[in-house]
Amino acid sequence: MSTLFNLSATEASRRINEGNLKAEEYVWSFIERIEKLEPKLHAFISFNKENALADASGIDKRIRSGEDVGSLAGIAMGIKDNISTDGIKTTCGSKMLENYVPPFNATVVERLKKQGAIIIGKLNMDEFGMGSSTEYSRYGATHNPWNTDYVPGGSSGGGGAAVSSCECSASLGSDTGGSIRCPASFCSVVGLKPTYGHVSRFGLVSYANSLEQIGPICRTVEDVVLIMNTIAGNDPKDCTSLSSPETPLQINPNAKVKSIALVRDLIEGSDPLVSKTVYDALDKFQDLGIKIDEISLKSVSFALPSYYTLATAEASSNLARYDNLRYGFSFPSEGYEWNSYISTVRSNFGDEVKRRILIGSYVLSAGYYGKYYLKARQLRSMLRQELLSILTKHELLLGPTMPILPFRIGEKVQDPLKMYLMDVDTVIANLGGIPAISIPAGYSNELPIGIQLMAGPFQEQKLIDAAFIFQNAKKLSTRTPL
Amino acid sequence: MVTKDELNYLRWISRLNLTDEELEKFSEQIDETIKYIDVLETFHSESSSVDLQELDLSDFREDEILEFNGDLIPYSNLTPERLVKGPKMV
Repeated sequence: MSTLFNLSATEASRRINEGNLKAEEYVWSFIERIEKLEPKLHAFISFNKENALADASGIDKRIRSGEDVGSLAGIAMGIKDNISTDGIKTTCGSKMLENYVPPFNATVVERLKKQGAIIIGKLNMDEFGMGSSTEYSRYGATHNPWNTDYVPGGSSGGGGAAVSSCECSASLGSDTGGSIRCPASFCSVVGLKPTYGHVSRFGLVSYANSLEQIGPICRTVEDVVLIMNTIAGNDPKDCTSLSSPETPLQINPNAKVKSIALVRDLIEGSDPLVSKTVYDALDKFQDLGIKIDEISLKSVSFALPSYYTLATAEASSNLARYDNLRYGFSFPSEGYEWNSYISTVRSNFGDEVKRRILIGSYVLSAGYYGKYYLKARQLRSMLRQELLSILTKHELLLGPTMPILPFRIGEKVQDPLKMYLMDVDTVIANLGGIPAISIPAGYSNELPIGIQLMAGPFQEQKLIDAAFIFQNAKKLSTRTPL
Repeated sequence: MVTKDELNYLRWISRLNLTDEELEKFSEQIDETIKYIDVLETFHSESSSVDLQELDLSDFREDEILEFNGDLIPYSNLTPERLVKGPKMV
């Protein structure tokens, strides 16, 4: 069996472009890998095997005829199942969309395909992006490749598991409150949530549109740069997308990172093993000549309640469109009147989605709007101002990605509040609209632990510089699980 | 505290059918969550400003018609006459 799946996306695309590696052979290595591992992992909802092979064969043909095939030629991409893919089912992990096949590609998918990337499948996720463990997927939970009794994180858990176990070269996830960074941390891979507006959301099924961004989940920092340079940039089809810096992201082996500040509030209350890993990471950065400080963010204690107020409010509005009339699942309307049909079909949502819709309706309702939603908006403004002010004095902020280690499947699924509390370290970047990256930092009993770096708006290059330095200095095992 | 009557009202405006069991279960879980976010009450701001993303009107793209040449029928619940069929309005 081929082990070409072990190549990084950067290395593979270089060899394919040089003609030293056939795209079809490379993609076959992932197909074999998926067929071997999927019974244990369940990272994919849809597998695009035939089209992926046909596309790979097309790439090889074009290379033979001397055509330019793009910087991602032959790269097998997994796409989270809330990102629209023309002709490939896009379910958002929900039974509400079990028959939905988009007639268009999301902008990010168009950009990947233009550079020769191949869509190998659609990745499992918590239903509509609501969750931190992928256990709320209506198609079954994904398993962590490092220990299959444990969760891979969420909501982009399929992406974390698939990339970590080499079922695909790289993946795209979406991050509303940590949904890229959490699986990156739990699966020992690199996950970047870009600045809000840096990557087009056209074609991303909305959960909370003021908070979410599409971003890459990859095995290395170099691969994150490769994918980001393809998907980022202004899109006329997304009015919230902004113009990004003119210089694309680069790998700078000699980059100088001046200072990193540990956010003490993020580490308080973390599992001791997580705290130790973060402090070890700080020591590593200090050994590399980087100035380390410790700071406190006043607004942190309000961040998570604000997030769950705003996100659920937006979700209750965004999910109002699912009435099964224009798209959805097979359920004839004969015998129903309007209201009863719509409320009957909407029972097809899972429990967590129903909970968040109800909470969102509550915080927006008359008598409670000022107490919750308006307060949360004001807090969000205050947090953003505080972050921007601190980031003028410190280049980067550091903290744990997750306050706990990966946990067993089934351990927290019956206690929603316990699940929400896990997002305490990640929601800050979404509320502030700033970029954040999770990088592997260690293990405890073979369970991965990640650290999180945050930077100012459009300062992804600083994140990449620090992450690359850390990746090379830490030299974590390159062993692939399973 | 989120009462059962409030939850009944919320399920009506959200258009969600809930069984009695779900109502009981969600009532406790949602109440716990609301108690957690009640910490927002302790926040008092000197300013009432709210961050908004400002868009310059000149940034909007041109309103041009692009013909869609694909076939919508396989992708949707359209009838052969390309109509959306829904339940009766009472």
